Amino acid sequence: MARIIGGIGTSHVPTIGVAYDKKKDNDPAWAPMFKGYVPAARWLAEKKPDVVVIFFNDHASSFFFDLYPTFAVGVAEEFEVADEGAGKRPFPPIKGSFELAAHLAEQLVNDEFDIATFYDHPLDHGVFSPLPLLLPHEPQWPAALLPIMVNVIQHPMPSARRCYKLGQAVKRAIESYPEDLTVAIVGTGGLSHQVHGERAGFNNEEWDQEFLDLFVDDPERILNMKLADLVRLGGAEGAEIIMWMAMRGALPERIRCLHRSYYLATSTPFAVALYEGADEAAKAVAAE
Amino acid sequence: MNPQLEGVEKLKGTYPFDVRKSYKARKLNRFLWNLRLPEYRAPFVADEAAACDAAGLSDYEKNLVLKRDWLAMIKYGVPMFLIEKIARVLKITNMQIYAIFRGESYEDFLKTRRVPSAA
Repeated sequence: MARIIGGIGTSHVPTIGVAYDKKKDNDPAWAPMFKGYVPAARWLAEKKPDVVVIFFNDHASSFFFDLYPTFAVGVAEEFEVADEGAGKRPFPPIKGSFELAAHLAEQLVNDEFDIATFYDHPLDHGVFSPLPLLLPHEPQWPAALLPIMVNVIQHPMPSARRCYKLGQAVKRAIESYPEDLTVAIVGTGGLSHQVHGERAGFNNEEWDQEFLDLFVDDPERILNMKLADLVRLGGAEGAEIIMWMAMRGALPERIRCLHRSYYLATSTPFAVALYEGADEAAKAVAAE
Repeated sequence: MNPQLEGVEKLKGTYPFDVRKSYKARKLNRFLWNLRLPEYRAPFVADEAAACDAAGLSDYEKNLVLKRDWLAMIKYGVPMFLIEKIARVLKITNMQIYAIFRGESYEDFLKTRRVPSAA
């Protein structure tokens, strides 16, 4: 049986990719961002998941608004890196988890989650700004990717609760897959930021820290919020933390945070967090 | 009214992009979207106005492009993620555009940031 071994939350700011490509890990202004990824990358290197499911959003790079899915799962043998206008970043394509993705689509639709499917849509910074900091990729990426796109750029967008329920349905689907695969779940986005209008540059660290607390201990409080609340507290684009809530839904009810970092430099905080089921984490501690 | 967005109109300087705006601005948005492809970038760089005309933009839309009126684009119905596409062609950074949205010089905007040297 396939099983979920943990979850990672991460921002997906494009500047993470720029700093990575320019090797700014020793630049004092960027070092804290790079450092934040180390424990999550180490965990992935130790656990070696077969598949990484990533809840991400496209930024009108591959998908256009003439047909814009609320949720879409990538069912393909591999995924390319999108050229967002500044040239394609030099990463190899990442292989898809084709059979698990097809199974996921079948199970989700049967479970009343009428998800769209896609292939031939290269993935943009929604995936590839954080991924190289989490996984090695030369000559190849070590895990297969199962991307699930969420509409967080054109209203009506799904609510936080809907995303959480999607995560729960994804968990059921993965746990009904007969092959012994280990799966890590990544939720991307946020935290507080706004990239448009006179309110551009908005941040709210107090809310971000509260969000990270509630995420573990009382997600229901977040699920009760409307998108308007998330926009007010975290900025218009900060509402994309609903993709973290999808990841939360795919994790056990009780979780433990193994790592949490937060670094706000310019316009969007770089947040990285690592979670395991509380009971699994307790077992691991006992074993040591 | 989108039930999820009740009350959002009280927030100043915030213009949620929705299906109504998306349809109204579809020609302009597709024009900007296409700029991520080299075959559209080259004619745009060669003759911006002709590229706007070829895309069937209205005079108003064409002016938004030629005058680089980013804030008016947002209000009209262009999401920031499509402004990004033209910004990459024009070699303008997102941070520079945020300053323009706020009506500040880039230097003044950077002073409001915690780590300006990361910009």
